[in-house]
Amino acid sequence: MSSNLTPLTAPTEVRIQDIGTAEILVGIPSYNNADTVGHVVRAVSVGLAKHFPGRRAALVNSDGGSSDETPAIVARTAIDFQHLFIADQQSVLHRIVTPYHGIPGKGSAFRTIFEIARRLKTRACAVVDADLRSISPEWIELLLRPIMEEGYDYVAPYYLRHKYDGTITNSLAYPLTRALYGQRIRQPIGGEFGFSGALAAHYLDQHVWESEVARFGIDIWMTTEAIASGARVCQSFLGAKIHNPKDPAADLSAMLMQVMGALFASMEQHEDLWSKQEGSQPVPLFGFPYEVGVEPVHVNVERMVSHYRQGLTDLEPIWRQILTDDTFTHLRDLQGTSGADCRIPDELWVQIVYDAAIAYRKRIMPRDHLLKALTPLYLGRTASFVYATQGLTSTEAEQKIEILCHTFERMKSYLVERWQPLTLQPAAPALLHHTTTDAGGDHG
Amino acid sequence: MDNFIDQALLKPLESLGHQVLTVLPNVLAMGIILLGGLLTAWALGFFAERLFRMVGFDHLCDRLGMNAALLRGGVKTDPSRLIGRGIYWTVIVLASIAALGALNLTPINQFAQSLLAYVPHLVTAAVILLAGYFLSNFVSRAVLIAAVNAGLPPARLIATCSRWGIQALAGAMALEQLGIAQHIVVVGFGITWGGIVLAGAIAFGLGAADLAKGFLERRLAARSKSNTVDDLHHDDLHHL
Repeated sequence: MSSNLTPLTAPTEVRIQDIGTAEILVGIPSYNNADTVGHVVRAVSVGLAKHFPGRRAALVNSDGGSSDETPAIVARTAIDFQHLFIADQQSVLHRIVTPYHGIPGKGSAFRTIFEIARRLKTRACAVVDADLRSISPEWIELLLRPIMEEGYDYVAPYYLRHKYDGTITNSLAYPLTRALYGQRIRQPIGGEFGFSGALAAHYLDQHVWESEVARFGIDIWMTTEAIASGARVCQSFLGAKIHNPKDPAADLSAMLMQVMGALFASMEQHEDLWSKQEGSQPVPLFGFPYEVGVEPVHVNVERMVSHYRQGLTDLEPIWRQILTDDTFTHLRDLQGTSGADCRIPDELWVQIVYDAAIAYRKRIMPRDHLLKALTPLYLGRTASFVYATQGLTSTEAEQKIEILCHTFERMKSYLVERWQPLTLQPAAPALLHHTTTDAGGDHG
Repeated sequence: MDNFIDQALLKPLESLGHQVLTVLPNVLAMGIILLGGLLTAWALGFFAERLFRMVGFDHLCDRLGMNAALLRGGVKTDPSRLIGRGIYWTVIVLASIAALGALNLTPINQFAQSLLAYVPHLVTAAVILLAGYFLSNFVSRAVLIAAVNAGLPPARLIATCSRWGIQALAGAMALEQLGIAQHIVVVGFGITWGGIVLAGAIAFGLGAADLAKGFLERRLAARSKSNTVDDLHHDDLHHL
């Protein structure tokens, strides 16, 4: 294990020394979340007091230099335990409010949280976004108890979302992760996770903190790295996820670039693992699933189609470099039809994603160019999904996503055959000495 | 009369004959050097290319990412071929200078020497042009992608302008390096940018006053709303 320590501020170092150790740590990365962070802190505090009484716990706010009062709100938010029927009102929840160093982004905020977890010799950690409006104290139990009592290393969230909410997850992150690593983690970039102290230390030891992982790539990286390191992975049902917009300043192409970049970089690193994986298996789900109403999502499909069509015209030379002739020809054949007919079917979308992964691997152009050039294609695919699921319930739309996942799995040989073998690739570390075989069979 | 013919006609002809006879071996030497240089250049270029190909230089460059870098710059020739052509042209240039020196004529010798002294400038100019070419390809692609993702209709025009702008800048810098049009960069770009800014200001102010007003209103209004974002985010879609 590396002895490299992530730099922390002097007051944070002192605070860590004062606290000494903590069995549980909950991290809240934030940036200008004054509207919602108070609610998140209350939910975390109540969750810890209610479900983990008597445990030494710490709440860490890793802030990216908020210009509103986010850190101050975290520091001063008080909880009225009396009206919450909580017996344990004596346990002290240590709070650490700290800025983070490094590239501005969620990943760098997490890095600081991981480092504090390591210094406090934490056994179980959870991270929750500061923009959540639907978090309840039960989320803390659901994210931490599988680690504390069931021996799991990584808990991914399982939310109920509107069929058009989380489109990068639905069209890319979930199907691709599932096809590659064989684990059906429905929300691999959910944002709320539970993980063991050992896994946090493993994350810290990876040299990824100057890459897309330092930004929005952190979520998918944590999930794939957990699987690749041999961690025991499960999911917890958290109900509906309602949150403020992620980062209004972040544009879509940058967000997509960071998620896809982290996904493709993980593919390069863990080639030995995913190239041998066939099919997929369900991942254990904790919690009590129930139906819940989700916020409606309004989608401007015409704008998406317009972007896609412009990409088809203007980015043709770039797409020709990224995609195979067959894929591009198929794509071009869609041009000329009316807006509503402009669809990217499942097979073609899978081919596009696999072609892009191979082009990324071969470095046929600067990687940020390649990833950003895929934005209109992603919008085209999202528009196709919206057209295909108009009038369907969320459950029916979920079935469409399931079909897409099967297509990703079925066409995986297309990727494996074209993927050039790495020559100087170090073997993936088997850090956490567990197996992942207790989730049951059902190969898709 | 005989004396006149002897002095006015034959003497100059004899003198010319002497001069020709003196220079002729040098001209012959120049031709031989040029011919030899051509053959040597071809042979060296050819064998260097074959040798680099045989030792797997292209494969090595591929692994180091150089082939991809060349491709990114629009160069589709493989590295072995590039080196072969580079050696060919270097030998040709050296042979030409040596051939001129073989004439052993003071003005030509001086010219050959000044040509040799000029070589570093030529190399620098070539490097500037090459770097400008690569940079223009890189920037124009980045601009094209950004413009398409921003939904700007004239995305290709903007990208093309950025490409030619950089290539023109590189060309001007190369000319300056060669000692041609010493102040072309400053003057040229002063005029160009001044013109663009003025034209843009006039066009925007006269032709699109309402657009400018609307744009500024939208931008200022957007800043006051934390959840209002660019066009792609006008709907409620949460991509992550």
